[in-house]
Amino acid sequence: MVNKMRESIIMKIHYGTALGAVALVAVHILMRLTQSFTESLEYANVIANYQSLPYAGMLEIILILLSIHGFNGLRVILLELKQGRMYEKAVSYGCVAAMIGLIAYGSRTIIMVNMGVV
Amino acid sequence: MKPQDENKEGIRGMINPRRYGIERVAYLLMRLSGLGLLAYFIGHIYETSSILKGEIGWNEFLELTQTNEGHALLAIVIAMCVFHTVNGIRVMFGHGGVGVGKPARPDYPYDPASQNMKHKMGIYSAIVLAAIATMYGLAVMYGE
Repeated sequence: MVNKMRESIIMKIHYGTALGAVALVAVHILMRLTQSFTESLEYANVIANYQSLPYAGMLEIILILLSIHGFNGLRVILLELKQGRMYEKAVSYGCVAAMIGLIAYGSRTIIMVNMGVV
Repeated sequence: MKPQDENKEGIRGMINPRRYGIERVAYLLMRLSGLGLLAYFIGHIYETSSILKGEIGWNEFLELTQTNEGHALLAIVIAMCVFHTVNGIRVMFGHGGVGVGKPARPDYPYDPASQNMKHKMGIYSAIVLAAIATMYGLAVMYGE
């Protein structure tokens, strides 16, 4: 499926995820500036952030958008360096696997803290 | 038969910023900042997972980032993030045909219409904004 998707569609996804991430990461950073930088990173504050459902949902969306954008960017760089049927397949599937792994790992943190399993 | 030079420079050609002007520098910085931000993003996901170890685990990890080295690293991340965002928007406009000029007959000295002043200004703006954001970030981190 990864290799069959047209490059023009992939680039539209790349740009769409970038624009979405810029907007949401700006909110994420502004949340750090509502108090002093050090205060906003205190354990109780961070737990409160995670336990707010809209904020946790936003973190999950940022995680997905940045993982897609980041690993597709890595795929593009690696495909610029070298080409070949097997190489391109390995890079594409490798990047998708890494992307899924990172989303799973990050989601685990968000879900567990949001549900109070700490 | 003499081997044909296919002009394949590989990774050395990709990271050489000296030819083709500021556009080539932007190309290199875009890729370096992208790779740097991906590395930081993976590290950030790992770092924030330390909250699952409770308050002690979180504070231990936080101490590592609240040092001069940690602040310097975060300042570099801010610079990469702002440059990547602003230059990325410029690239998006370029791919969409915005600011690249009208198609015309190629005449000597064959200056590419797309590499015009508007896009050069976009690149320089990205660098300046990255520098300003880095200074602001450092002021916030050091609580000034």
